[in-house]
Formats: sequence, structure tokens, C-alpha cells
Amino acid sequence: MDIPAMRASFAKAAATGDEAPLYFYSHLFLSHPETRQLFPVSMAHQRDRLFAALGDVIARVDDLHALEPVLRQLGRDHRKFGTVAAHYPAVGGSLVATLEHFDDAWSPELAKDWTEAYTLVAEVMIAAADEAADQPAWWDADVVGHDRRTFDVAVLRLRPRTRYDYAAGQSVSLESDLRPRLWRYYSPANAPRPDGLLELHVKARDGGPVSSALVRRIGVGDVLRLGPPVGHLALDGESDRDLLLVAGGMGLAPMKALVDQVARHGPPRRVDLFVGFRTEDQVYDGPGLRQLQQDNPWLSVTVAVSDDKNSDLEQGDIGDVVLRHGPWLSREVCVAGPGPMVEDTVARLRQHGVPPKRISSEVFAPSRPGPTVDGEVTE
Amino acid sequence: MTIDQEASESSESSAGDQREFAPFDLQNVRFSRAPMLHPGYVDSEVDRVMGRVAEELGRLYAEKAALRDQVRSLQAQVDGVVVPEPPSEQAVRILSVAQQTADTYVAEAEEFSRQVTGEARSEYEELVRQARENAGAILQAAQEAAASIGGAAPGTADGRERTTAELEEQVAYLKAFGQACRVQLRSYLEALLSDVENEWGRADPAAIPPGVAVPPAPRSARGARGSATAFEANVAAEPPEAGPDEVVSASARGERPS
Repeated sequence: MDIPAMRASFAKAAATGDEAPLYFYSHLFLSHPETRQLFPVSMAHQRDRLFAALGDVIARVDDLHALEPVLRQLGRDHRKFGTVAAHYPAVGGSLVATLEHFDDAWSPELAKDWTEAYTLVAEVMIAAADEAADQPAWWDADVVGHDRRTFDVAVLRLRPRTRYDYAAGQSVSLESDLRPRLWRYYSPANAPRPDGLLELHVKARDGGPVSSALVRRIGVGDVLRLGPPVGHLALDGESDRDLLLVAGGMGLAPMKALVDQVARHGPPRRVDLFVGFRTEDQVYDGPGLRQLQQDNPWLSVTVAVSDDKNSDLEQGDIGDVVLRHGPWLSREVCVAGPGPMVEDTVARLRQHGVPPKRISSEVFAPSRPGPTVDGEVTE
Repeated sequence: MTIDQEASESSESSAGDQREFAPFDLQNVRFSRAPMLHPGYVDSEVDRVMGRVAEELGRLYAEKAALRDQVRSLQAQVDGVVVPEPPSEQAVRILSVAQQTADTYVAEAEEFSRQVTGEARSEYEELVRQARENAGAILQAAQEAAASIGGAAPGTADGRERTTAELEEQVAYLKAFGQACRVQLRSYLEALLSDVENEWGRADPAAIPPGVAVPPAPRSARGARGSATAFEANVAAEPPEAGPDEVVSASARGERPS
């Protein structure tokens, strides 16, 4: 394989911006119309994703070994979209056609190299998907509870119809028939329970199609589809250090799950949970947090507001509030919330002297940043 | 040499034309007896080899047949499959434009939804903020009032007693004031009612049954009983579906000088 030549031809296509992915998908849907139903109505964000993903693959195509875990994950994850092995050659064909279309120096050798490289990639993905075949491609889950807590936050309770395994702190991708083919990530607010119930905290983002529907349109009796769980926010199974959990806004969900994990499975440890909101109105889970604190003598919960002078709650940015209550030098720390909050808190804790390897964090960012559609979050 | 002869004979007898050497042919081969003085191969060895050759040939034939079938079925599959024509440049362009149009519409809808929700949210937050402020102001005023009441009296036990006495006095005054208001309000309302009834009664005097008809009395002298009768009679005189217009015209008629 002539990898520099391949990279050069990819760069030509990528330089056209939206043109090349637009051509690719039109070519794919015309030559294999059955693939259209795998995608949402609007392809705008899909197009960005495809070439970003291909770019990642191309950047590392000479080191397939390093690429393999990513590809395997991709292959497994694509099952929930309804992707089957037969779709892979279709995509490969349209990809080569697209590269050819935008490359004035296209040659049969390049076509051969690209086909070969794509086949390698596809084989890894298909194999990973096949290995996961004993699991469902997705899990249907009934909405059994829907509780509007504030103007824009709802707490949903879901009951998967078949066993759904995940770890506290992980995220679940989900899709609703109201917004077909739009998958979004949310983090359950409880550790796995014997009855299988999942609690999700959803904030409706202005103009966010999925989050708005989950808060304002979905109700008890509706069905959601869940994809396999992902995410790295988890407790170190070996450690029994005391915990410091810091949440900003909707980052509360995974933190509650971690508290629940300690409550259910131990090991016994002190847990200090700090939750920051902008105003007191936004504290959507006050009774839940009080209950949690009552039930668990080893837990302390501090709720703070950063922009509400009239509130009786503790005042200040949550990172600041956490440090006021220190020292935390011996703790294992988990931080989740909006990007700036996570960065600020982690930086302060490092400065405070907590070793970086004992801090895990997850940013809950809108999944679709953009000038026109300020949308979803990876919650 | 008799093998060829025998073989060709047998094949001709079964198929009638020249065909390949079949396992069957091999089994039917009979070697001629060699002369006693010039013995040939040991019969049993030859037979064993021939048996094995026949077996092997049989296997090969079966495999050939299976492969032929496979080739045929694959050929049929290939013939049945329509290899998709690569889409024309024009088709790709048309679909691309259509997709972009759809994308724009979706983005606009989302943008619109974002604006509307955003405005609704800020309005909501503003309302809550104002309500908070109002509540705060009321609370502050109340506290100030409390402070001024407390401040008016010296901060002693005697002062507190005096304050309590003052408050009781105020409460008594307010009660009396409330009672007076009730009385005034009631008499005003009653006056208003009788006025209304009076007007109703005058609206269509012809409709009032003669026996019950009471001449309009001065407002202050109107008895409750008389007004009630006139009221009922007037209502009964109206057609059941009487709308506001008819009432107006009836009252106009009543006011016409006769």
C-alpha cells in the first residue's frame, strides 16, 4: 500500500469541505437505497462525523494494530444503527468512487490500495460486530416514570425489557421513535439494580431535538432504544479510598450512580458529594439528595449556587466551594459537568495536590456544537 | 492387450458412444489367462489395485458432479443479480441538492425552536426574578414595619407590653373598620340590586301581570317582595331564547313615553 499517496488523495477530498461527504452519501444512497434508512433525515452532522472518522483512520492506517481497538468499538457500536455485514462493501464502493471523483490524478493502483485498506478496516469492524452477536444490537426500554422537575429538567425512569448490563458512571446511548436515528448519550443516575430500573436526568437544551422531546413529549408508556454502554468514569475496583465527587448541573447523574454503587456494593468509605448549580431554581433533585444523605451516614452532600445571591445555599463556583471544605489530598476524585466547570475543578484540585491519576473526569458537552443548532449533550 | 477392447466394448454397449473411462469399466476388465509357461502378475494383487483405482475414480466422479452443480447454481445466482449501475453524476448532484435542502429546513426548524424556547426561558426567568424581588420587597417592608413598631417603643419589657397593647388596639380598630366596610358594602350592593330590579321592572311594564303590577316606587321605598315579583314576571315575559339584543329593545320599549 502506498500510504502517502492514499493520504494525498484523501486530503484532496477533505479539502472540498462538505462537497465530498455530500457526494459520498448521495452515491451510497443511490447505489444502495436500503442504506438510507440507517441515517437521520438531516445529514448535516453525519457528514462532519464521517470525514472526521475517516480522517482518524487514515492518520493511523499504517498502524492498524493501534487502530484496532477503536475499530472494534466502532463495529460493535454500529450494530445499534442496524448495520449488517452487507452494508460494508456498499460503503467501500461509494468511498472509492468519491475519492476518485475528487482526485484528478486517480489511478488503478490507488483504487486497489484504497479497496484493500477499506477491506482490512471493514473486516475488523465486522468481526467485532460478529463477536458481540450474542448480545442484542439494542435494548428496548419502557418509560415507567417521567417527572418534570424544573422548567427544563425531567427525571425519567426506564425499565429495559431484557437484561441490560452497565457499570455505575457509564453512559447509555438512546434513541426515540419521536426522533428517529438520532442517538444521544445519557448517564444513568443509579448503579445497576436488581429490578433493572434506570434513572435518567435530562435537561432540554434549547432547540435540541432529542433532549426537548425527552423532557416535553415523552411520557410513561413510550419506548426508548438503548445502545451498549460506554464511558470511562468509574471507580477503581481495587481502591477503598474515601471519595470526593464533584458535579456541575446535570453531571449529578453519574455521581449519584457512584454513590449508589458504594451504597450497594461497598467497600465502606466516606463519600463527599458536591453539586453546583447556577441558581437555586435549577436544583432539580433537592429531595432526592436529602434522602440520599439521610439514608447513608457515610455521605455528606453540599449543594452550592454560583449566581443566586438570594439563596441560602452555599455560594460560589463549585471548584471553589470544594476547596473551602478541604483538604482532599487522600481522596479518589470524580468530576462531571460542563467543560469549563470540569477544567476549573480539576485544575484547582491538582494545584491543591491531588495526584492526577486519582482524578477521573467527564465533560458533559453538547453533542452538536454549531452556529445554527446548539443542541444535545453527551449526558 | 484386452483392457482396451473390453473397456470399449462395455462402454459402447452402455452409452453407445465414445466416453470416458468409468469406474464401472474398470470393474468389468477381465485379463486373459497367461500361458502356463509364462506366468503374469499375481491375480490378487492386480485385483486389489484395480479395486482401489475404481474406488478413487468413483470419488473423483462424484466430486466432479458436485462441482458441476455448484458451478451451475452459482452461475444462476450471478445471472440473477443485477450489478448495480454506478449512479450518474447528474443523479448524485440532484440527490445532494435535495439533501442539502432538507438539511437546511431541519436546521432552520431547530434554530426556530431554539429561539422560541430561549425566549420562553428568559421570560420565565425574568418573571420568577421579578416575583422574587417583589416578595423580597414585601418582606423587607414588613420587617421595617415590625422594626418601626418595635423601634417606637423603648426596648424594655414595659415597651413590649405597650407594643402588645398597641397591636391589640390596632387589631380592634381594624376589626371595627372591617365591620363598617361590610355594612357599607352590603347596603351599597343592595341599593345596586334594587336599582337593577327597578330597571328590569320598568323594562316591559305591559308584561307584568296586572294583579302583581306595582307602580314604580321611589328607590328607597321599594319593598323586597314587590321588586322580586316584578323581576320574575318580567323574566317570564321574555321569550326563552331571548338574547341580549331583545333585552335591550325591551328596555328601550319600556322607556318609550306612552
